[in-house]
Parts: sequence; C-alpha cells; structure tokens
Amino acid sequence: MAAIGDEASAMDNIARAPAAQSAALNPASSGGGGSGSGSSSHVEAPEEAAATPPVAPKKPHTNSDGGVETAEEAVEPAEPDINELCTDMFEKMAIFLQGELTATCEDYRLLENMNKLTSLKYMEMKDISINISRNLQDLNNKYASLQPYLDQINQIEEQVSSLEQAAYKLDGYSKKLEARFKKLEKR
Amino acid sequence: MASVDSQPRFGQSVKGLLSDKVGSCSGDVIALTRQVLKGSRSQELLGQAARNMVIQEDTILHSEDSLRKMSIITTHLQYQQEAIQKK
Repeated sequence: MAAIGDEASAMDNIARAPAAQSAALNPASSGGGGSGSGSSSHVEAPEEAAATPPVAPKKPHTNSDGGVETAEEAVEPAEPDINELCTDMFEKMAIFLQGELTATCEDYRLLENMNKLTSLKYMEMKDISINISRNLQDLNNKYASLQPYLDQINQIEEQVSSLEQAAYKLDGYSKKLEARFKKLEKR
Repeated sequence: MASVDSQPRFGQSVKGLLSDKVGSCSGDVIALTRQVLKGSRSQELLGQAARNMVIQEDTILHSEDSLRKMSIITTHLQYQQEAIQKK
C-alpha cells in the first residue's frame, strides 16, 4: 500500500508539474477565474513535492517536431550503488558457475594424472621385463653351451649307479660263497 | 522451472517485480547448469573410473614386486652359471 501511495504521488507530480509550470508561465491568462484552481494546484504541487522529497522523477519533455508529439518515459532516478550491486551479482554468479564446471574439469585432471603415473609404472615394468628376458636368453645360450658337459655328468651318474648295483650283487654273491665254504669246511 | 508466476502481480512496484524476475532468472540459470552436469553423468563415470584405478593399483604394485624378484633371481642364476663355467 505504501508502494501504491509512492507510485501515485510520483505520477501526480509528473502530471501536475507541467500544469504548475504552465500556470506559472501564464498567470495573466488564468486571471481571476483560473486563479483559484491555479493557486490550489500551485499549492497542492509543492505540498506533494514536499511529501515525496526523495522521489524526483524526471520531467517528461514533449517534443512536437513536425506536428508529432513524442514524450520520454518518466523513470525514477537509479540508486547510486545499483550498478556496483549488479556488477557484483553477475561476477559472483559467474564465479559460481565456473566453480560448478571446474569440479568436473578437476575430476578429469585427476584421472589424467593417475593414468600418466600408471603408464610410467608400466614403462618401468616393461624395462624390467625386457632386462629379464635378455638375461634369460643369455642364460639359455650358456646352458646350451654347457649341455654336453651336463650330458656327460648324467652318463657318469648312470654308470656310477649301475656300478653300485653290480657292487651290491657282488657283495651278496661273495657272502653266499663264504657261507657255502664254511658249510663245506665243517663237514 | 520458473519459480515466479508469469502473470504480473498487481499492487507490486516495478522495482520489486524486476528484482523478483532477476532472482528467478538467476535461479533458473543455476538449475539449468546443475541439470546439464547431472545429465552428462560425468561425476558418476569419473568417480567409478577413479575407484577402478585405485583397485587396480594394488595389482600393479604386486606385479612390479614380482618382476623385481624375478630380475634378482635371474641375476643369481647368472652368477651361478659363471661360477660353473669357471670351474
């Protein structure tokens, strides 16, 4: 309701200001007949102007170029810090939106870094496995050069085991012979 | 999506209407941004990818340890082979 009163008073000021001006400019034309109404309007205008000192709307200018009347819109004067507030609001909104999008970007960066580290680890493992394969190939080649000696060792072992078997058999046979000899000796 | 009625509110000042409209527009922009991010499912997919990589890292470390042990064993075999060849 206060807004209605302010708005109405502002519109009345706009409407009556030209009337006051015209009344001031043409006091003679108004004369005695219009003096009462002119003075009353003149009295009312300052009263309402005094009632709304902070609101000083722009006086509409009427142009009548070429017989066409044009008028500017009556606007209230902007607050002195409204521009700063608007700039601040849009800046903060931009920062907020940027933050929302930056979160996803940071997730991608994290994954990128993790992938890079994993690829480095795999490269190290690749180097290690290359070294191992090279060493094992050298070992296989040297083992191939030692193969005849190893075969000889195997043969020697087989022969030794057969010799051992023969020795056991000979030992048993000699024991049997000794027992028979003793039997014959007792007779 | 709009939080403010589109019909003009009678009895409200122009300034109040303007501020309400600005507030509703900013809220709509924020909601739109959030919906776009939610619709892309980037957070879910990236989180799942990060979790899988963390699980995989343990296996990678184990594999690396095994490879290092294998290289040490290979080195010992080389030393033994050289000793055999000398003798």
